[in-house]
Amino acid sequence: MAEKTDYSLILVIDDEESIRDGCRQVLEKSNYSVITSANGDEGLQLAREISPAIAFIDLKMPGLSGMEVVDILSKDIPDTVLIVITGYASIVSAVEAMKKGVYDYLPKPFTPDQLRAIAQRGIDHRNLKLETQILRKEKKEMENNFITFVSHEMRSPLVTIRQYMESLKVVAGDNLGGDAVDIIKRCSKRIRNLEELVEHWLDLRRIDEGTLVRKKKPMNLSGTIMKCIDEMEPLCTRRDLTLEVNVPADLPTMVGDKESLSRVFINIIGNATKYTPKGGTLSIRAEYDDHYIVITIADTGIGIPSDKFLLIFEPFYRIKGKGDQYRGSGLGLSFCKKIMKAHDGRIEVASEEGKGTTFSLTFSRQTHPVTKRGKEESSAREKGRTDS
Amino acid sequence: MMTTKTKKKKKKKKKKKKKKILLIDDDRDFLMATKVILEKGGYEIFMAEDGKSGIEMIKSISPDLAIIDMMMETWGEGFNVVSRIRSLEGGKDLPLIILSAVDLQGPYQSFEPSDESPTVNMVLHKPLKADDLLRYVDQLTQ
Repeated sequence: MAEKTDYSLILVIDDEESIRDGCRQVLEKSNYSVITSANGDEGLQLAREISPAIAFIDLKMPGLSGMEVVDILSKDIPDTVLIVITGYASIVSAVEAMKKGVYDYLPKPFTPDQLRAIAQRGIDHRNLKLETQILRKEKKEMENNFITFVSHEMRSPLVTIRQYMESLKVVAGDNLGGDAVDIIKRCSKRIRNLEELVEHWLDLRRIDEGTLVRKKKPMNLSGTIMKCIDEMEPLCTRRDLTLEVNVPADLPTMVGDKESLSRVFINIIGNATKYTPKGGTLSIRAEYDDHYIVITIADTGIGIPSDKFLLIFEPFYRIKGKGDQYRGSGLGLSFCKKIMKAHDGRIEVASEEGKGTTFSLTFSRQTHPVTKRGKEESSAREKGRTDS
Repeated sequence: MMTTKTKKKKKKKKKKKKKKILLIDDDRDFLMATKVILEKGGYEIFMAEDGKSGIEMIKSISPDLAIIDMMMETWGEGFNVVSRIRSLEGGKDLPLIILSAVDLQGPYQSFEPSDESPTVNMVLHKPLKADDLLRYVDQLTQ
């Protein structure tokens, strides 16, 4: 620690020449570089220019007072340790200064030893403060880099493995028997699952860091849902499911993040297709009143046992005993729950085993400040609704 | 270098010249895996593991197509390589495929090519299905 303090810059602001000279002599002997100033204005300017390690400030000075200097410097150069010199042993003003962020006070008259001791403590304090700052910055950087790191370091190998699988098929060509092709297919599928797990986990991290739902904008909910439904339709056809859609085109505009909400819809619809046997029905509806917009996704699938309703929203929870065919990351619904929460909405489930499951997503309609225009808008909406 | 040249000559005699494809990706394994697929499709493959040597190779071998990973070292590096290629003499018309391992969603959305970003002929997502890749490459090298 002692080495670090060598040549640290110390500024002394005091109108008494004897104090300035005394401080200089004592501190320079202890290997500090000392700059002095006889008044508040000049001291302030100097301090801003040189950002000293410590500034000793006399509280009682003609012109700009010590307290004013403290006020300004504690904001302008927060890394400088401020120590006040109190001429009239006034504890009251010293306490006041300390409330403003001064590190310590030095009552006049003081001995060289007292001055050296307080300077040393000030330097130690500053070094600790700076170290903490650096550590904090590093920690923040690490956190920020984490996601980039994970996505590159964990996903790329998986992608590369899948690419190798693909080239293996090409290289082996017709030499591969049906069993071998099947094995490659199964490998690829498991790798894909692992990739999904990484992706979902990243999504959850992003929500926790608030970076996923950051682009909330007024959005057309009907359009967003319909786009998701379009995207999922081929899957329904493939699985021989009937798709019933009843989403009014005039759902009220809401403020949200289109991107993440789309993923919620796709997730829930995807689950419904996954857990509904061939020939079943998927029904997607949207309704609204003055306070809420509710979207329901109902299926005629295998259902969820009622004692598991709460657990399904927990990360990594999967209903056991459903076999290999339903393997997922176990993070999808907890993702949905977090996204809904970020939109002040909620997600609920009703289900009966063997009959089907209904997920409902409820959004509160954002309350607009009651202006004349707002009223007109809402009455127009009412009208639109009765028309449809 | 010599061996490649003689090989090329031999094959030229056999049938018409092979189309040259340059792969630029900092993942050597990904390069190898993709190379195998493209070679099976009858192309001659050159590989570069970073943008700088990729650009050098474009100058020296003048490929018929370049496939560039967008996420080398830093995200978006691929786009930088693309702009450099486009500013090369004759680089304007070189067919380019850019590869991305993420689906340009979420926080990466801002990297969606804008009007100012250099034009590529195609954006494909990793991993590449063998027949898709061969079909697209075939299209672009016609």
